[in-house]
Amino acid sequence: MKGRRFLVFGALFGFALSRARVTDYDTIAGMFRLTDLHVVGVIGSAIATAAVGFWLLRRSGNRTATGQPIELRAQPWHMGAVWGGLTFGGGWALSGACPGTALAQVGEGKLAALFTVGGILGGTYLYGRVRSRLGTPAAPARAAAAAS
Amino acid sequence: MYHAIFVSPWPWWVAGPTLGLVVVLTAWLGGKGLGVSTAYGSVCAAASRLPFFRQRQFHEPWRVWFVAGLPLGGLAAAALGGWFAPGLAYGSLDALTGGSLAARAGLLFGGGLLVGAGARWAGGCPSGHSLVGIAQGSVASLAATVGFMVAGVAVFNLLVAVLGG
Repeated sequence: MKGRRFLVFGALFGFALSRARVTDYDTIAGMFRLTDLHVVGVIGSAIATAAVGFWLLRRSGNRTATGQPIELRAQPWHMGAVWGGLTFGGGWALSGACPGTALAQVGEGKLAALFTVGGILGGTYLYGRVRSRLGTPAAPARAAAAAS
Repeated sequence: MYHAIFVSPWPWWVAGPTLGLVVVLTAWLGGKGLGVSTAYGSVCAAASRLPFFRQRQFHEPWRVWFVAGLPLGGLAAAALGGWFAPGLAYGSLDALTGGSLAARAGLLFGGGLLVGAGARWAGGCPSGHSLVGIAQGSVASLAATVGFMVAGVAVFNLLVAVLGG
C-alpha cells in the first residue's frame, strides 16, 4: 500500500504527543479546569512553529524536498466548523482525548483508551450515516482532504 | 541527553515546537498537511458503502499509515521513558468515576462518539484544524478550535460539578 513512509511521521507525532503530556488525562483536565496552561503553551508554540515552516515552504514554491507539489489548502469557511467544534469539545471534555492522543494512549499502555477509539469510530460512522441519509456531503467535503 | 529526551517531562516550549516540526516535516518530506480524524473515516469506508464514505479523502492510504504510527510513537515514549505498564488506570478520572470501570468505559466511549461525530462535522480535529489549519491562516480552523476549547471547558466543569470531583 502506498505511503508507507507516513508510518514514520505518525510515530514521530505520537511520540511527541506523549512527551508533550497531552496524552495524560490529568494534564488535559488541568487545561479544562483553567489551572494549568501547559497545553495552551504547547498548542500555541506548535502553531507558531508550523506557521513559520509553512511560510518557508510557500516561499520556496510549496515543493517537497524531492520537488513534488505539497497538498496544503486551508479549509474554506463553513458553519459546521462551529457546531462540529462545539460537539467535539464536549466529547474531548468527557474522554480527555482527541483522535490522535487516544491512539497514542493505546500504545502507551493506557488500555481504557480503546473505549475512546471505539467511540470515535462509532461517532464517525453515525455522522456518515446521518449525512448520507440527508443526501448531502458534509460542507467541507472538498477541502477536508487538506485540513482534517 | 537520554534523560532530557526520553525521561524528564518536556516543557511546553520544547513540546510545542517539536510537534510543529513534525507537521512541517510531514509537509516537506511527505507532501501532505497531516490530520488524524479523517483516517477514522477511512476505517468506516473500508467496512461501509454509505455515500458519505465514498469521498476521496477517506481513500488516501497515507492517512492510515500515519495513524498506525501514533500508537507506535506512544509505545516508544512509554518504553524508552521506563513507565510502560499496560492497564486500565486513567489518571484522576478513576476517582471521578468512583473507581467504576463501567462508568469510566461509558464516559470514554460516549465522549468518543461526540469526538468522532464532531470531527467529521467540523471537518477536522485538533491536529488538522488547530495545528495545520490555523498555521495556514484558516478562519474555519480557528472557529473550530475556539469551539473545541469553549465546549471543552464548559462540559468538563459541568461533569466535575455533577460527579462531585
